[in-house]
Amino acid sequence: MLKPGDPAPPFDLECALDGRIARSSLAKISSELVLIFFYPRDFSFICPTEVTGFNKALKDFTAEETAIVGVSIDNVDSHLRWARELGGIAYPLLADPDGSLARAYGVFDDNEKVALRATFILDRKRKVAFSSSCPLNVGRSVVETLRIVRALRTGRLCPADWKPGVEFGPTDRDF
Amino acid sequence: MASVDPAEKRRLFERLSSVREIVFGVQDGVLTTAGVLCGLSGAVSQHSQVALAALASTAAGALSMAAGAYLGARAETEVLHAELKVVRTDAASRPYTVQEGLLDELCKEGLSREAAYRVVKMLSTSPKALASTAEAKMFGLGGAMLGNPALDGVVMGIAFLVGALVPLLPYMLITVPRYDLGGALAATALTLFGVGYFEGWLAHRVDRWRSGMRFLAIAMSAAAAGYMIGLAISPLGATAG
Repeated sequence: MLKPGDPAPPFDLECALDGRIARSSLAKISSELVLIFFYPRDFSFICPTEVTGFNKALKDFTAEETAIVGVSIDNVDSHLRWARELGGIAYPLLADPDGSLARAYGVFDDNEKVALRATFILDRKRKVAFSSSCPLNVGRSVVETLRIVRALRTGRLCPADWKPGVEFGPTDRDF
Repeated sequence: MASVDPAEKRRLFERLSSVREIVFGVQDGVLTTAGVLCGLSGAVSQHSQVALAALASTAAGALSMAAGAYLGARAETEVLHAELKVVRTDAASRPYTVQEGLLDELCKEGLSREAAYRVVKMLSTSPKALASTAEAKMFGLGGAMLGNPALDGVVMGIAFLVGALVPLLPYMLITVPRYDLGGALAATALTLFGVGYFEGWLAHRVDRWRSGMRFLAIAMSAAAAGYMIGLAISPLGATAG
C-alpha cells in the first residue's frame, strides 16, 4: 500500500458521473487535493453508506479544494445502475474491473478479488499525502476524512483531534 | 399443474423428522427383543422364563430409549437455540454484516450481485425475515430443525414397544418349543423387511426391495450373533445352577 510521500500512480479510466458514462483522468483533475477512496463492490451494504456519505459531504470537500474519486472493481454499467440506486452520485465512480489501479496503489485483496476499503489523499504534486485502509467489514468515517483534508490544507502542525478553530501544535513554528 | 401447499409441505417435513425416531425405535425394539429371545432360548430351557425376561428387557429398553431420545433431542435443541440466538443478536446489532454475508451466499447460488442486493434489501425491511433467511442460507440453521424433545421421547418409546411386541407376541402365543422362536423370528424378519421397505418408500427409492433386504440382512446377522453368544454362555448358566 502506498504511503505518504510516494508518487500517486496516474489513471485514466471510464467512470459513472451524473448518470452518464465519462472518463476520469488524474492528470485532468485541477483541484489542490484529490481524495481517492477504494471500496470493495457496488450493490453491497456497507459501501453505499460511504459512497453516499462522501456525496453528501461533496460541497464541504469542494470548499476545501478537494476532488473526490471513488473506485471499485465493478464495471461502468454497474456503477451507473448503482449510482442511480443510491439516488445519484455527483463525483466520478471509476471502473477498475481488472483491479489494475487497486494493485498500483497496493490495495487489491487477492483473496477476495476486490479492492480494500482504502483512502488516499493526494497533494498538489500528486504525491500521497495521506493513506489508510479499513477492514472490509468496517466503513470509514467521512467526517474524519474531511478533518484530515482540512488539517493537510493548513500545512501546519496539527495535534491529535485537531479541527478548524483549535490551536496548532506548540512547536508549529519549527515545523 | 398441481400446486404445492407450502404449509402442507412444511408439516410433512416436520412429520418426517419423527421418522428417525420411529425407524430407530422399531428396529431397535425388534432387534433387541429378538436378540434377547434368541440368546435366552439358547441358554434357558423354560419358555415362560424366556418370555418373562424378554418382557422385562422390553420395558427397560423402551424407557431407556425414550429417555435417551428425549435427552438427545433436548441437548440438540438447546445448542441450536443458542446458535440461533447468536445469529439473531448479530442480525439486530450488526445488520450490515448479516446483509453482506447473505448477499454473498445468494451470489454463490447463482443470483447476480445486483439481484441478490435487491433480494437482501427487500428482506431487510423485516428484521425477522432477514434473520431467518440468514440463519438458513448462511448457517444452515432452520426452525424446522428445532425438534420437540418430549414428543421425540414418547415416539421413540412407543416405537420401541411396538417393535418389541413383534417377536414377543408370537413367542408368547406359540408355546411349542422351537416353533415359538421360529414364529418370533419370522415375524421379526417380516417386520424388519417392512421397515426397510417403508424407509425406501419415504426416500422415494426405486429399489425398495433392496432397502428391505438390507435391513433384514443386518438385523438377522445381529439375531444370529445373539443366539450364538447365548449358546456359548449356556454352560456358564449350568455351572452356576
